[in-house]
Amino acid sequence: MERLLDIKNLHVGFRVFEGHLRVLNGVCLDVKEGERVGLVGETGCGKTTTVKSILRVLPMPPARIGGGEIDYNGRDILKMSRREMTALRRHELTAIFQDPLQSLNPVFTIGTQLRDIVKDSAIGRGRRLSRREVESRCLGALRETGMPDPERIMTNYPVQLSGGMRQRVCIAEALSTNANLMLADEPTTNLDVTIQDQILRKLDELVEEKGVSVVMITHSMGVVRDLTERVNIMYAGSILETGATRSLLESPKHPYTRGLMASVPKLTGEGVSEGIPGRIPSYLDPPSGCRFHPRCEHRMDVCETESPPFFDITDVHRAACYLYRGET
Amino acid sequence: MSDTTILTIEHLVKHFPTKMGVVRAVDDISFDIAEGDTLGLVGESGSGKTTTAQCVVGIYPPTSGRIVFEGTPIGVAFKRRPKELKRKIRIVFQDPGSSLNPKRTIKQILSVPLRVHGMETDRKRLAMMSQLLETVELPPAEYLYKYPQAIGGGEKQMVAIARALATNPRFVVLDEPTSALDVSVQGKIINLLMRLADELELTYLFITHDLSLMRNVATRVSIMYLGELCEIARTDEFFQSPMHPYTKMLLSSIPVVTEEEESLKPKKIVSQGEIPSPVNVPPGCSFHLRCPERLPICSEVDPEMTALGNGRVVRCHLFPGG
Amino acid sequence: MRREERLRDLRATLALKRRGLARGWYRFSRNPLSVLGLAVLVLIVFAAILAPYITPYPEHANPYTNFGDASRPPSTTHFFGTDRVGRDIFSRVIFGYRFSLTIGAVVLGIGVAPGIILGLIAGYHQGTWIETVIMRITDVFLAVPPLVLALAITAMLTPNLMNQMMAIALVWWPWYARLVFALASSLRNEYFVREAELTGAGKLHIMFKEILPNCLAPVLTKMTLDMGIVILLGATLSFIGLGVQPPKPGLGTMVAEGAKRLPGEWWGTIFPALAIVVVILAFNLVGDGLRDVFAVEEV
Repeated sequence: MERLLDIKNLHVGFRVFEGHLRVLNGVCLDVKEGERVGLVGETGCGKTTTVKSILRVLPMPPARIGGGEIDYNGRDILKMSRREMTALRRHELTAIFQDPLQSLNPVFTIGTQLRDIVKDSAIGRGRRLSRREVESRCLGALRETGMPDPERIMTNYPVQLSGGMRQRVCIAEALSTNANLMLADEPTTNLDVTIQDQILRKLDELVEEKGVSVVMITHSMGVVRDLTERVNIMYAGSILETGATRSLLESPKHPYTRGLMASVPKLTGEGVSEGIPGRIPSYLDPPSGCRFHPRCEHRMDVCETESPPFFDITDVHRAACYLYRGET
Repeated sequence: MSDTTILTIEHLVKHFPTKMGVVRAVDDISFDIAEGDTLGLVGESGSGKTTTAQCVVGIYPPTSGRIVFEGTPIGVAFKRRPKELKRKIRIVFQDPGSSLNPKRTIKQILSVPLRVHGMETDRKRLAMMSQLLETVELPPAEYLYKYPQAIGGGEKQMVAIARALATNPRFVVLDEPTSALDVSVQGKIINLLMRLADELELTYLFITHDLSLMRNVATRVSIMYLGELCEIARTDEFFQSPMHPYTKMLLSSIPVVTEEEESLKPKKIVSQGEIPSPVNVPPGCSFHLRCPERLPICSEVDPEMTALGNGRVVRCHLFPGG
Repeated sequence: MRREERLRDLRATLALKRRGLARGWYRFSRNPLSVLGLAVLVLIVFAAILAPYITPYPEHANPYTNFGDASRPPSTTHFFGTDRVGRDIFSRVIFGYRFSLTIGAVVLGIGVAPGIILGLIAGYHQGTWIETVIMRITDVFLAVPPLVLALAITAMLTPNLMNQMMAIALVWWPWYARLVFALASSLRNEYFVREAELTGAGKLHIMFKEILPNCLAPVLTKMTLDMGIVILLGATLSFIGLGVQPPKPGLGTMVAEGAKRLPGEWWGTIFPALAIVVVILAFNLVGDGLRDVFAVEEV
């Protein structure tokens, strides 16, 4: 199957007062058509920077691309012209973010915003829609996300809706452009558990139906387990482990992933582990070689000098760790 | 865990009159907390769990009902509480980013409770602060002279805990203490809190929406919905044999990470509908509109709390009172 | 033991402040225009302070006539030319800056502090009668245009710089009260303020130690930008004859004197006017830079 998105060895840094932050350190991530891929990592690991790099919305003066490519359907996003990028954002890529209040303009009704998006995406494809067509598409999109009474929602302002409903609106907006790749950055972190459950199920249904590829970014292993087929574990700017979600979560291989899985409180009630000793490294002066090595109890000499490449564990599971060097 | 009750809530009601109607944040709840216990309080938006905590701590005075601490009624706002009470009941807030003043150093932040509660000299305070920071495993020489922005979320929360402990309290309200933190940091903080509860003989009111965390932290769990209590039970009973339909719905919605846990969840109850706003509480049982097991009586009459022995309490027509 | 501890404490605290200043300067210096503004400002301030020593004709700032040298265009001996009574305009402009800077410093010095204090009190007591009283009084003062008030006051008293400064200061404080009120009333509900209250800290502590430090950034930025506005106001008053009285070399006064001789002897008006523009621009650029310094960076 074709790789829709292929991030190859991406390096991104930021220039700040204290020096140069080397954030993304050779990120490799791919998404095939119709696939749902998770990107799991903790605060500061670089997940949002990666998303912003794909969308090319990083503020370029402090940020700098230090190398690598982001291929979309074979073409490097980083080298695209502004016009190509606009077309890409209009028709191919779509995103939903953590706080719908920030994604929705508070001074316009839902209807105004949704209509704008529907019209814009149609015009981009060279079609002009009649007012009735636009309206029916908007209502359809809202109905699909499980909104009761879409006609009334169209007349509401974002602040009049609950968190869950706002996020449904964002999903409706995202899917109404018929994009091929959705980037979902912690879409349900702010929501209540039962609402989160509803929304994630609905999102799952919709992307399956429409064949949209998804990169689901989250810090929650539980969410990724239910929603993705493959998952990437990210730490300090690079992917440490990647593989089929369920099997990776049942038997994690990389010491970081293991530590992470052990830290998640379990319903079995076995107590809470002490977490992973140490702190996330500073991007100003990151550890040499494998960035996790200072915190790793299995570290070897080579871990300090050279950054490990991916080693295959099975044909659907790889880890960037010298512990698995022999397996290749 | 002793048998002395340290905190009693009796028919606590807290309503907020607003332009859009009365927000019935807390609508007649009652429970006890025994000394040394950790009572978990679980609920979604509008459940009233935060407001309950705020009434206990004194941010708001109750609209009606009693709060009794160590035998003395304390149901007034903090302005009218004696200083000694402010020393004994402390709170750790959810968001470490906003519970520490970004323009003050850790040293200045920690000195406030110390100064208010009697430590006059700079020297005594410095010694105490160093001790507090060491208790939460943050080297004082390094951390006293930093601003909150210079330290990570987990460390900020440690400072918030150190600040709460600065007055030698008896009772600490923990309002989602680790919800804003990464899971790899959470463990350290939770274990620290548990250890401190033992060493310093503290009682906790632990609020979180993370049921998996609750499973490992609380001795008893209580669940609230739209201002009312649905169920209170010992932790193992709560998770292994939940009784209230809302409890079952919530438990079945938790995202878990292993097959083993999946098998421990109650049968999947698909939650439908939005959580109503506390301005518009449905008649009868507040949960009936979303309840998969509702009976005709549920839309008319609000059920009473029924005690089922062993400290177990449920509020549901499925378990009529005895 | 005691002294050693104290020293260590002091040293650590100082190191922290120094680092903060260094970081502030870094952010400020990212913008070359702000640095330029600062440089110009520093130059003007020094020139104004050292005016008697560095200007070529310091005595021309006092009553002086030399009709032989009158109305000369700019030259190497008189950079800005001479006015109609023979005084060197360049020297007078430098002395003129003294008045401008003084009026800015005095007005802000008098007006800002009361404004901040009232805003803090009102913000902390938001929702109570205290807030209502303070903010309504503020509203009343805000409704009065500074220029009109200054005119009215001068109509009653003698026109001179001191009275003008008092008049303007009287209507300047409400802006700060309002600014600080807005900040304080939202900060008031922050967790760290609640925490201090719950601990039992007193109101004074909360207002001045918890809330105020978080208000300083916008206040300082506004003060810098206000300097320009106040200077312009002072120059305007002098221009219409109410501020600095001739023969004193107020910048606005000089513009007025020279205006009668436009366009022929343009140097009499243009140079003082440019001087006003330059100092205001410099303050604005510095204000912009300050805004960058205080902006919270998001990466």
